[in-house]
Amino acid sequence: MISVIPTAFIFFAAALVLLALPKTGVLRPLLLLATPIVAVAVVWNAGLGNFAQIGFFGFELEFMRLDRLSRVFVVVFCLAAFLGNLYAWHVRDTVQQVAALLYAGSAIGATLAGDMITLFFYWEGTAIASVFLIWARGTEGAYWTGLRYLIIQIGSGVILLAGVVLWYRETGSIAFERMTLGSLATWLIFLSFGIKCAFPLLHNWLQDAYPAATVTGTVILSAFTTKLAVYALARGFAGTEILIYIGTVMTLFPIFFAEIENDLRRVLAYSLNNQLGFMVVGIGVGTEMALNGTVSHAFAHILYKALLFMSVGAVMFRTGTSKASELGGLYRTMPLTATFCLVGAASISAFPLFSGFVTKSLILDEAAGANYELVWLALVFASAGVLSHSGIKIPFFTFFAHDSGKRPAEAPRHMLWAMGITAFLSIYIGVFPNTLYAILPYDVDFVPYTVGHVVAQLQLLLFALLAFVVVYRTGIHPPEVRQINLDFDWTYRKAAPSVIRVLAAFVAHVYAAILTFLTNRVKNTLNRLYRSHGPEGRMARSWPTGAMVLSIALLLGATLLVNFAG
Amino acid sequence: MANSRKDDPAKYPLLGRKMMWLEKPGSVAKVIAALVLASAVVALADFFYEKHGKFAEEEVEGFFAMFGFVMFTLLVLAARGLRALVGEREDYYGTKAVDQEESYPEDQIEIRDYDDD
Repeated sequence: MISVIPTAFIFFAAALVLLALPKTGVLRPLLLLATPIVAVAVVWNAGLGNFAQIGFFGFELEFMRLDRLSRVFVVVFCLAAFLGNLYAWHVRDTVQQVAALLYAGSAIGATLAGDMITLFFYWEGTAIASVFLIWARGTEGAYWTGLRYLIIQIGSGVILLAGVVLWYRETGSIAFERMTLGSLATWLIFLSFGIKCAFPLLHNWLQDAYPAATVTGTVILSAFTTKLAVYALARGFAGTEILIYIGTVMTLFPIFFAEIENDLRRVLAYSLNNQLGFMVVGIGVGTEMALNGTVSHAFAHILYKALLFMSVGAVMFRTGTSKASELGGLYRTMPLTATFCLVGAASISAFPLFSGFVTKSLILDEAAGANYELVWLALVFASAGVLSHSGIKIPFFTFFAHDSGKRPAEAPRHMLWAMGITAFLSIYIGVFPNTLYAILPYDVDFVPYTVGHVVAQLQLLLFALLAFVVVYRTGIHPPEVRQINLDFDWTYRKAAPSVIRVLAAFVAHVYAAILTFLTNRVKNTLNRLYRSHGPEGRMARSWPTGAMVLSIALLLGATLLVNFAG
Repeated sequence: MANSRKDDPAKYPLLGRKMMWLEKPGSVAKVIAALVLASAVVALADFFYEKHGKFAEEEVEGFFAMFGFVMFTLLVLAARGLRALVGEREDYYGTKAVDQEESYPEDQIEIRDYDDD
């Protein structure tokens, strides 16, 4: 029974309509902007409830579970789709346009799925649709990167399916509700979510793929996949203690890699990984306020992370590169992009009056409240790390620092609008946090702007800035140079292929040896036969025809003798 | 593109020209002085309000200031060490990797200078 049209279907229908529209002109971009607006309006007016159940091989699938947890994710996904499509107004590539719609639709469909079979289908949908945003770059490098991305993402879905099947056998239910880690089924589902959420050692697809996507594709990619995973974890595994430690590690290790990474879009991918860590800690703590913290942080994060990817993307759009070593001093001719980038940087660094401040402090306070002192200290440290790579490195080495001599034109108008609106929202949430708090899953009893919060945060950030001034001016800060850094993907891009090459060489050797041995045996046998039965062989001294005649003659002679004797 | 043959700051966007105040001698020193002043203010502010921290270290005056400064510095030093450990040439993963592409495919973007028409 369907009483409200599932939101994902709106996006899929729009993708079909888009194909019928002319490739040039404003109709397609307008449709791309209108779709998320219509979708969010439908969701908002529907209220809360379970609006679409469909029978499927004896299962009851739920396509439209709208509660306070899923609704806020759908709202921010629609917002991200709108802003991403506005940023991509200039794109005339049908593949990217359709992929953007199918991808956003799948992510929203997965968020609204009330059962795990529906979740699985949309889970794979996000994987398949999104890879086209990487392939659309059109280079051979992008093709191989896309394949690696697809294998890992599809793998996550296959593991999810295995987990769901086992879960169904165990409980007889396919409902997607809170689970407790224990059986193989729950661990498989957990692992599947963990891959998409870029848990440590499962993370490298993120840093590998996002910098390889198209200028606009990365902005869209940054919003959905990982936050869908955060939603799934919040739905399925809230209060699972191991998540606190996983999340803490996630906040820490990327800040070191981000510090030395030259490709600024990869810096942002590491930074994204670090921000996911804060959300995962919140899920692990699992109290109502901690979950509020996670959800609100995901909301704010989608916006400022998109803003940062947009600003670096705009630079790439005008200069062809996103490498810090090739950039610098661009504020002169791209001042608006630079300003928007600074707003994004301040938001992710959680400066008071910017969005990150009012959301992250919820998570930190709850981690402290639950008495995880070391975790809390690690998160405070990670916050200083965020300032380092996203707050300072991104804007400073792109738009300031040494003058690269590049004088690119300002970003196109539609990109400026997209960045401007996103920047406005990031500040608006920071100044009026109650607007966001009102749509969170649980009622919010939290005041971010206390003297203690503000002073502590400003101390941390300002003194970290001072430290930056010191290390930068003394030349201790690692210089921006053209190089890459090996991360865990080394294991499957270099080590595993090398091992396979060595193994293959070994197997080839053994095979060749066995083959030679056997051929020699056959040859020897043949030679022996040849020697005995060949033309010069002992057995061939008389010709077979002569021998036959002789035998018959002897036989006839013998018969004659027997007859005479008889 | 890149290094314009006739770099004419008068043609930069208005906001860009305003921001070029940073290029004036002494401007950076002023920015740093402002940062030092602001840091001093928030550090001293610790003495003038009652703290409700959860942990003992939060009660220490200037804890977050020291923590921020020290940990940031350690982070940078550790990152230098990490680079020595994992840094590699851009073509390490061969010619079929995105990292060794000289530029983003130029037919998909609009590379332009501020004074291009």
